[in-house]
This record gives sequence, structure tokens and C-alpha cells, in this order.
Amino acid sequence: MSDVAVARRALICGVSGQDGAYLSKLLLDKGYQVWGTSRDTQTSTFSGLHALGIRDQVKTLSMSMLDFRNVSQVVSEVRPQEIYNLAGQSSVRLSFERPLETMESIALGVLNLLEAIRLVDPSIRFYSAGSSECFGDTGGMPADESTPFCPRSPYAVAKAAATWQVAVYRESYGLFACTGILFNHESPLRPEHFVTKKIVAAACRIANGSYEKLSLGNVDIRRDWGWAPEYVEAMWGMLNHSIPEDFVIATGVTLSLQDFIATVFSEAGLDWRDHVTSDPTLRRPSDLMESSANPNKARKLLSWVPECAGPDVARRMYKAECNQYSIVNYGESNV
Amino acid sequence: MQKVALITGITGQDGAYLAELLLEKGYIVHGIRRRASLFNTDRIDHLYQDPHESGTRLFLHYGDMTDGSSLVRIIQQVQPNEIYNLAAQSHVAVSFEEPEYTANSDALGALRILEAIRLLGLTNKTRFYQASTSELYGLVQEIPQKETTPFYPRSPYAVAKLYAYWITVNYREAYGMYACNGILFNHESPIRGETFVTRKITRALARIKLGLQDCLYLGNLNAKRDWGHAKDYVEMQWLMLQQEKPEDFVIATGVQYSVRDFINAAAKELGMAIRWEGNDAEEKGYNTHGKCIVAVDPRYFRPTEVETLLGDPTKAKAKLGWTPKITFNELVAEMVREDLKTAERDELVKQHGYKSMDHHE
Repeated sequence: MSDVAVARRALICGVSGQDGAYLSKLLLDKGYQVWGTSRDTQTSTFSGLHALGIRDQVKTLSMSMLDFRNVSQVVSEVRPQEIYNLAGQSSVRLSFERPLETMESIALGVLNLLEAIRLVDPSIRFYSAGSSECFGDTGGMPADESTPFCPRSPYAVAKAAATWQVAVYRESYGLFACTGILFNHESPLRPEHFVTKKIVAAACRIANGSYEKLSLGNVDIRRDWGWAPEYVEAMWGMLNHSIPEDFVIATGVTLSLQDFIATVFSEAGLDWRDHVTSDPTLRRPSDLMESSANPNKARKLLSWVPECAGPDVARRMYKAECNQYSIVNYGESNV
Repeated sequence: MQKVALITGITGQDGAYLAELLLEKGYIVHGIRRRASLFNTDRIDHLYQDPHESGTRLFLHYGDMTDGSSLVRIIQQVQPNEIYNLAAQSHVAVSFEEPEYTANSDALGALRILEAIRLLGLTNKTRFYQASTSELYGLVQEIPQKETTPFYPRSPYAVAKLYAYWITVNYREAYGMYACNGILFNHESPIRGETFVTRKITRALARIKLGLQDCLYLGNLNAKRDWGHAKDYVEMQWLMLQQEKPEDFVIATGVQYSVRDFINAAAKELGMAIRWEGNDAEEKGYNTHGKCIVAVDPRYFRPTEVETLLGDPTKAKAKLGWTPKITFNELVAEMVREDLKTAERDELVKQHGYKSMDHHE
């Protein structure tokens, strides 16, 4: 059979984000036809798809996750074999300001997709983006798939509800539906309101002569940071596994934010202590101190083994930032 | 100072018992009701005085858990010391038919109230009670279930309630609000909704006894539940808001019966004996004349069944001194007695040539 004859179709909801771009790239490389949705394709820049040079290969559609008619219409038009739901308000901090929108975009969005799958074609495989935030503070015990949720923000509560909604539909209606409980995963495509991107961007400017101070909240928090392009492989792996199951996706390496900062600044030949100030207003109403993971199930059942972890994530992000900086400011890459 | 309470879901079973309790305690009680084209206040009509009379202490407002601004307006007007959030689409089976509405009213409804409290600057004044549910335990992870047992929701209803549970915890932790969850196991009474299994049983058996109905159709007869009396449980709801600091509690009896046990107990109260034959979907209950009066209809099976729920109320007893006063048999007896009265009325009406309502739920 030729590739054209069997081209599989994938629908990515939330294609304009970081993961949407990398997943599109992965699926295109695997020979899929990729359809992506965004709230408004007229105003969306799809900068991630452009950055990866695949904007014209991804067919994009406007879709409101909250409008069931719209969701079911898109699913029946595209008739994908796989749907990846990456849409939703994705900032923990913002979820305290917009708890209702957060809940609607995450949990009601998932519900509309699940119902649309039941209506259009129950054989469609469904991946839903969960979050390590659902575990809350993991303390000294790395979280795995059997760790009870203890969400500590409106974002995490909404993600917990969405995860269970997927499980209910899997168990009640036999849908191939699963949730990837992804720990933090970074890349050059992270927007600047994410702390990792904020750090590398500031370090890069400072290394190039800026006198600014980098103002941060709690730098003692500890996280499991991975490399987003590797994480989208796990998403695909989950939908191409024999049975639908939830997986924790993480590196298994936990780092403090201070270690992350120190790594980035040392790459820049700087001492972070000269450039970073603490701003208590940047702390969240309930901050998680530790978020650590045990990704053994994905390693075992999906053979998914990430290569990039801990300080390497910081280094790669910094390097990419510097390349980008050179292109923007000097019109050339320093690679 | 006279305390002011606001009850969402005041027209429901718990709302009615709680309103009565709070009025007895001297509260001014405000309740929210949805506009409907049918009267929907029969459970509280005995408490409600003509608003034109003086000394009235029960007030009703039109509002809806899916309408955020209506909730803000009512809370602003009422300035309550305590809010009891009992409003919900509370039927598990219906939640599979109406998952979005269930999420909107049960999950977002709780969030809208919490946000209204913050928005109106009532964070330090207003205490918040969230009606959580044993359905959160669903596929139970340990037996019996207590406050520390991990959740495993099995229905859109349970998932919506899971959101409401955690968002309540979150607002307590993030903003220091006095907000807490009562994780109530099944609680019944003569004013339980007619489509809930206990009430469906007592109502049907009373009507079968008087010849108004032939057969009672049910789903899973093996499901085991921890059944208490709503009257006991609303006292606990009030107690939870009177503590120094807000905490979540399991409210249960600690005793478990199957649906079949409940049928047998109700039949016994009516002087009927039931002989069971067959298994699973083929199981039938016969009366002494050999007539089938109870049968299984697989239509009532849930897509994902919750087989067993049993609560451990140790914390409520140890910390708040709460124990349920009404036993299982007393509960069943009271429900049967009240439904028999209604059935007798219907029979009388029918004998005199008037129409009596037959509801098939």
C-alpha cells in the first residue's frame, strides 16, 4: 500500500501552541494528514508552525471548544482516526484570575470532544492533555499513574476533572480515550509568560549587554523539566498502543528553579546572583514546592525514553534563545 | 445578632430539612429557586409564610447556578453569614444523558458561588458549605471510605462533583476562606425525589399493595449503599460551619445494605413477603400469590456501575460528636408510612371517580 492511499488523518485541537506545533511536525513526518484547530485562525499567528517551517502543510480550522455544534461539525468534516486535545487555558497563574474560563476551556472542551466522538465515530482515538499539576505537591514521593490527585489551583482542578471525564467515557462507552499526565516540558516555542522562557530570554539579553534585573517568584520550587519535542512522541505512542491507558510522561529528573537559573546563566558566562531579584508578588496563592515523577510505565509499555532532562533542557533552551536573538538583532545565526 | 443563611437548592430534600433546622435555630433563611412553569416549592411550603405577613424569616429568590450574575446579585443583597451549596443536577443516571448541564450546574455552580464571595469582599464574613458526595469514591479504593480515601469517580455527575470538591479546597487554601466539603453518603427521607431508588421502592411497593401499580422495575439490585436519614445529615452540615477552622468530613452511618435489602425491609413494613428467583437481569421478586411485583430492567443499569459504598464516619464522631440518630429500619418505616398515605389518598380519589396521577419513572 502506498502512503497516499493509507494517509491517516489527525486532528489537533489547540494547534497554535508549543505542543501543537511539535506534534504537527511529528505526525507530518510520519505521513499523516494534519488538521489543526484554533479559536480564531484569522487572528492566530501560528508562530510555532511557522518556526518549524510547516505552516502550509497543516490545514487549520477555527473551532470553539465550547460550541458543541462547532466541535461535532469539525470532527465529522475531518473524520480523523486520531484526535489530540491540546487546547485550553494553560497558565496556572492566570487560572486564579480566570477560574471560570479555565474550567470551561479545559473540562467542558474535553466533554464536547468526547460527546462529538460518540456521535460521529466512536472508533476515533482520543488523546487528552493532562497535567502534573493535578498531583499538587509530590513531596519526596515521585508521582506515578496510581498517585491520587491533589490539585492546588483552578487550573489543576480543571485538569483533574478533565482527566476523570476521559476515564469515565473510556470505561462507560469503551472509547479509546486516554490522558497523558505530562510534567513540565519546555522548548524554544514556549511563550514568555512561562518561567523557563522568561529566564533564558532575560539571560540572553543580559549576556548581550542589557542591565535589566530578572525578577522571579519562588526559586526554591523543584520541577521535572523535559524537552517538548520528545513529549509529543509519547502522545502519539499512547494512541498507537494496544489499549487506552493514562500515562505519566516525565524525565524522572527533578531540578530546583534555582538550579535551572544557575545553569542558564553559567551558559551565558554569568553569575545568576548578580542579576536575579525576588518578587513576592509573583508567587501564586498556593505554590507547589516539589513536583517529581516516576515515568517507568511509559518507559516500559511505550518504550519512551527521553534523552534530554534536567540541566540539558536549560542549556538547549538558552542556546536556541541566543540563535533567535542573533537572527533578530544581527540578521544571522551564530551556529 | 441574628445569623443569615443562604441555601442554594432549598427546594430539594436537603434544602427543606436544612431550612427547617436553621429556622428552629433562629436564623433568617434565604433560598434560591429556579423559575419553573410548575410549582416546585412543595417541600418547603409548610415553612413558607405569606411574604406580606410580619416576622417572616424565610425568603425565596429566583436564581440559577448556571447564571453567575444572578448569584452575585442575590449574595450581595442577602449578605449571608453562611452559604450552603446544595443545588445540583443530583441524579447520577441523568448525568450520562446531560453531562454538560451537570458540569455547568454542579462544578461551575460551586465556582460561581466561591467567586461571588470573593468578588463581594465577603471572604472573611461568609462561610461556605459544599455538598460533596460519596459518588466521588465510585470504584472504591478502600473499604470503608474515609476523608483520606482517594477518589475514583465513575459518572459525569461524580466528575462534576469532584471539580466542586477540589475547587472548594483550593479556595480555602489559596484565599483563606472558611469553605468546606461534607462528603455525604446516601441520605434519604419521605421527601427524597421520586426517581431516586429508595423513594422509587417505597412509593411503588405502597402503590402495589393497594393495587394502584403492578410491578416495580429497577436496575442493579446488588448495589450496596450506606443509607442514612437526611434529617440527621443536615445537622452535620450546620455543625461543619460552626467550627474554629474549616475541614472536610465524611458523613455516613457506617452500615451497608443492598438495594434488595432495602426492598425486603420496605415490603416487611407493608406486611408483604417477597420471594426472589433468578439472577442478574433475570431476577424477579414474587408476592405470596406468585405474582411478579419486582423485576430488573437493564435500562436502569448505569454505563459504569458503582457497586459498593460504605462510609467511615469516625472523624465526624470524634471531632464534632455527631452520630446519626435514625436507624435504617426507622428510615424505611417512615418512608413507607408516608408513601402509603399518599397511595391511600390516590386510591380514595380514584374510587370517587377522579383521576389520580400515575408517574412511571
